[in-house]
Amino acid sequence: MFESLSDRLAGIFDKLTRRGALSEADVAEAMREVRRALLEADVALDVVKSFTDKVKNRAVGVEVVKSVTPGQMVVKIVHDQLVETLGSDAQPIDLEAPAPVAILMVGLQGSGKTTTTAKIARRLTERQRKKVLMASLDTRRPAAMEQLKVLGEQNGIDTLPIVTGQSAQEIAARALTAARLGGYDVVLLDTAGRVTVDDALMSEAADVKRIAQPHEVLLVADALTGQDAVNTARAFDGQIGITGIVLTRVDGDGRGGAALSMRAVTGKPIKLMGVGEKADALEDFHPQRVADRILGMGDIVALVEKAAANLDAEKAARMAAKMGKGEFDMNDLADQLAQMQKLGGMSGILGLMPGMGKMKNQLAAAGFDDRLLKRQLAVIQSMNKKERAKPAVIDAKRRKRIAAGSGTDVSDVNKVLKMHRQMADMMKAMGKQKGGLFGGLGKLGAMMGGGMPDPSKMDPAQLEKMARDMGMGGGLGGKGGLPPGLPGALPPGLSGLPGLPGGRMPGLPGLPGLPKGPKK
Amino acid sequence: MSDDKKPGLIGRWFGGGREAPDTRESQAEPAAPAVAERSSWFQRLTSGMSRSSQAIGGGIVSIFTKRKLDADTLEELEDVLIQADLGVAVASAITDRLSAERYGKDITDDEVKSILVAEVEKVLAPVAVPFALKPDKAPQVVLVVGVNGSGKTTTIGKLASKFTAEGKKVMLAAGDTFRAAAIDQLKVWAGRTNVPIVARDVGSDSAGLAFDALTRAKAEGIDVLMIDTAGRLQNKAELMAELEKVVRVLRKVDPTAPHDVLLVLDATTGQNAVSQVEVFGRTAGVTGLVMTKLDGTARGGILVAIAEKFGLPVHFIGVGEGIDDLEPFAARDFARAIAGLGD
Repeated sequence: MFESLSDRLAGIFDKLTRRGALSEADVAEAMREVRRALLEADVALDVVKSFTDKVKNRAVGVEVVKSVTPGQMVVKIVHDQLVETLGSDAQPIDLEAPAPVAILMVGLQGSGKTTTTAKIARRLTERQRKKVLMASLDTRRPAAMEQLKVLGEQNGIDTLPIVTGQSAQEIAARALTAARLGGYDVVLLDTAGRVTVDDALMSEAADVKRIAQPHEVLLVADALTGQDAVNTARAFDGQIGITGIVLTRVDGDGRGGAALSMRAVTGKPIKLMGVGEKADALEDFHPQRVADRILGMGDIVALVEKAAANLDAEKAARMAAKMGKGEFDMNDLADQLAQMQKLGGMSGILGLMPGMGKMKNQLAAAGFDDRLLKRQLAVIQSMNKKERAKPAVIDAKRRKRIAAGSGTDVSDVNKVLKMHRQMADMMKAMGKQKGGLFGGLGKLGAMMGGGMPDPSKMDPAQLEKMARDMGMGGGLGGKGGLPPGLPGALPPGLSGLPGLPGGRMPGLPGLPGLPKGPKK
Repeated sequence: MSDDKKPGLIGRWFGGGREAPDTRESQAEPAAPAVAERSSWFQRLTSGMSRSSQAIGGGIVSIFTKRKLDADTLEELEDVLIQADLGVAVASAITDRLSAERYGKDITDDEVKSILVAEVEKVLAPVAVPFALKPDKAPQVVLVVGVNGSGKTTTIGKLASKFTAEGKKVMLAAGDTFRAAAIDQLKVWAGRTNVPIVARDVGSDSAGLAFDALTRAKAEGIDVLMIDTAGRLQNKAELMAELEKVVRVLRKVDPTAPHDVLLVLDATTGQNAVSQVEVFGRTAGVTGLVMTKLDGTARGGILVAIAEKFGLPVHFIGVGEGIDDLEPFAARDFARAIAGLGD
């Protein structure tokens, strides 16, 4: 999500920042384009209007026109305004109430309530060690209750036994009793999807709310919603009263206007966002970071958090020690590739990196997708122990065998070998450098505590050098490399990521596999 | 005829069918008794979309009661259209035309409405193509695709009831092997409509299932085979490739299959629907559209933008939760409903 909006805005701001001085007319023109970009991103019209008005008021003031970099100033104002519209601080689910804390999930049909209920349950269980009970109050959609039950079984969460023929109100009461008797901390109530004009169902939800006295009432809303988002949010807030919003399908390529709209009209915080089909694909909603993402500034913090959650510290330490000695064999390369996969693949990583949005598109255009990672892993897995430890022994005959074994052809094998060679060279070079590049998790923690360096504040020359060092410029199959002016490298702090060679992502150097189209 | 044989089946499965209002009646306050059993779909559409029309229609009235058509007025009209999800480009095209004809003149809101209807209808008329049953293709394979939660399974259920009512032998294939209980959900619909269903376990290969279903449908002399698929976001390359595979595998049994690929669109979706049509069209070869959930508040305008851009046939619209609330798409009625013109 957000990428295409961010592309649009980047174009508008490019024009602005290139100019020395800005007149009011320039700002007004830019705001007209911002208005259109936001409307095309499905931000509700009223919200767009008040947004551009506010930005205009602040932007035409003396500070902008007289400042040295007026364009930058406008971008900053838009950013601040975005944060203000989205809400400034992240607000997680509030469980500060006597147990069992009831959480009521409401929303339109097909917005993802049941899936989200399971995701929240799993999150509370895993991260906050809560004992969670889920109950489906959806007496309407066929198999809705079974769906929640199955999700409960898959994720190890208890669900209220299904009793057919009960009304939503009865189930709610039963769920609360069961939660109290069973000593549960949290009870999640999943309701039937409803249209906002269906008064009977809306009043059923209101009834359930009266019975359950939920501490949180979460509106589950589809991030792909259009102008109707404001109606939905208003109707649910007005008739039932919500305490927060969970945005689903944020991993789609929608532009996320609904997020802005719903927060703006209800004033209720967006608490969580669903970012995938898997049960753990749920993230906190950080308005500041989302604003950064919308403006194409990337979300390095999310990347670091994701890395910290997924990387194996022990493995990383072992790897660091090996690399210190300048050793890097095929097993290490396989580890690196596997770790990239865990981080959501190339596109996942790039999407979170500042200024990488455009590059991601170039990669996609060049036919690079994460199947490549899988294929490269397959190639390595088809090597025997000796070959993995000492790739130099791989001759033409072995290459053929490996290609056959992995379902690829010899040129694929060659590419993996070449990638390994390049990375091994780099490792050697880095191994010679002093100062423990791979400090392990302690360093990562310090980095997160100390805040990430802001690439926009970095010296451009330094950035350029880093971009060169990363060898990405020419690696994109001659497609022009990185867009000029964009910070083309990881912020230096990230080089401390355990398991990732500093500043150079595996697979990135020269991107050897790139020009190859996806296999059909 | 479908009216006669439903009660027993649906009664056991709360909701979804026409019994839904009764269920609610018994447990909540007296709801409107199953209104107008055989009312025309247009009446149902207009009542379903009344909020939508009121939003647009009311907006127009408030703009035009006392003013000449000037730039401000045009901009406000454009805003009104944007709020109906018509999209910026289509909205400005319509206002441009209005401006070309009437700029500076007095104009009544009726005139504005009729121009709006004419414009919208002009775009929608070519795509209002009824869904064709092709007896010579039996089994006619209908693949149903769409993003998560758009209403694929429910649409299949409604279509099964419709085709069965037309005397066709229908078979369902539970191709959504990913979402928990999706198979159960389709099984319920198969039970309601009394049609055979081919299903495997959760997590099995949906392409393989499609293959089996088509083979079986052929053997059993089925007229229409409807294949459900797992919801997928169109930007997930792997999932789209999986869908391509389903199509590929179907062609092994019948090179002309699938005969219809229906993309189910959620009417609340905004501009992203355009991208959905584009990508699903490219990967699965979408032949027609179904728009669901046209029973809430202001929405559905995106269909105008889609019609203009892709010209894909719109076969059905879903205007309610009942088993019969799926109707052929009629351009003029839709345009009139959008413009707030009743009967």
